[in-house]
Amino acid sequence: MSNKIVPSIYRTVIDDVIASIKPEFEEYGVSEDVLAELQHKWEDKVIASRVAEFEPPNPTPQFSHAIQMPQYASVHAYVPPPPPQQSQIKSEPVDSRYVLNTASYTLPPLLGPKLNGRPNPGGQTSVLSFPPGPPQGRPSTIPQVDGPSEDSDDSATPPPATYAPRASHPSLPQPQASSSTAPADSEAINSDLDDSDTEDEDLEDGGGANSEIVFCTYEKVTRVKSKWKCVLKDGMIHANGKDYLFSRCTGEFEFDWV
Amino acid sequence: MASAYYEFYRGSSIGMALTDSLDELITSGAITPQLAMKVLQQFDKSLADTLVKQVKAKTQLKGHLKTYRLCDDVWTFIVKQATFKLEGNDSVSSPRIKIIACKNGDAIEAGKK
Repeated sequence: MSNKIVPSIYRTVIDDVIASIKPEFEEYGVSEDVLAELQHKWEDKVIASRVAEFEPPNPTPQFSHAIQMPQYASVHAYVPPPPPQQSQIKSEPVDSRYVLNTASYTLPPLLGPKLNGRPNPGGQTSVLSFPPGPPQGRPSTIPQVDGPSEDSDDSATPPPATYAPRASHPSLPQPQASSSTAPADSEAINSDLDDSDTEDEDLEDGGGANSEIVFCTYEKVTRVKSKWKCVLKDGMIHANGKDYLFSRCTGEFEFDWV
Repeated sequence: MASAYYEFYRGSSIGMALTDSLDELITSGAITPQLAMKVLQQFDKSLADTLVKQVKAKTQLKGHLKTYRLCDDVWTFIVKQATFKLEGNDSVSSPRIKIIACKNGDAIEAGKK
């Protein structure tokens, strides 16, 4: 079974990389201890990933950040703490700000004060065509006017850094979601707008090593009507939390529209 | 083939383990990003060579093709109810698996002929 060979193959790869890169470390003036540290870190993470049954020389995974597959039961005694890595979706303030902004689009007078209470970048209000109004003329009972008036200057020129990435994604129809800074927003509010046929694929991509995925090369891919045949080579399968390797894989698929 | 190696195997388990380790060493200041890149390039080479030379296993895959894409000579398949038949009557199933396949080196050379 091609899972059995995984430890020895990975052992070979690690040893080969470490041995081959040694001159580079010397050239860069980096001590051999660092190279040894790299090797230990690497080995520990591979073992902690539990993609195969390695004989653990050092069964103390000190890296909670390692490439774990938390959802899969382990055959090993130790189970590293599996914190789901979702570091990019921690921008709670941005999230709620967007909610407030959207609400203020429909009900500006009511929610305006809350909007002002936020550290609000000017681009957002202008983007939602929030009426800036004559700020100075307003009574002070509506503190919202301070925010937009001050920000209205910025709104003419888009805020520099945070919005630049979004501009590079022309597929995004409108600048409303500010998804570059708050990915959680688009999911919460604009889920129907942001739907795409690659959505769950993207989610899968975000899963990194947790995804069910095959890396390989192809020799031949053919199709007759809805029947696909392909010859794949030199593959690394990651499925059900385990790695499998193949030299050659013949694939036969039926294409479904569903 | 001699000089160019695919980088996409870095997304595999062992590649991610290496990348994370390098990240930690860069963060702690032990190595420079340039040296880390050298390590990754060496990994590309070592992994590809080891796969070619040492892995002999053959397998078959059947399933329902949900999505296919060919872009820049990279095939992407998303296969549902995928079943790999491994040697020795073993099999591995996945409800949904993504296949990323770069053009094989032999296929590249065959195309030139």
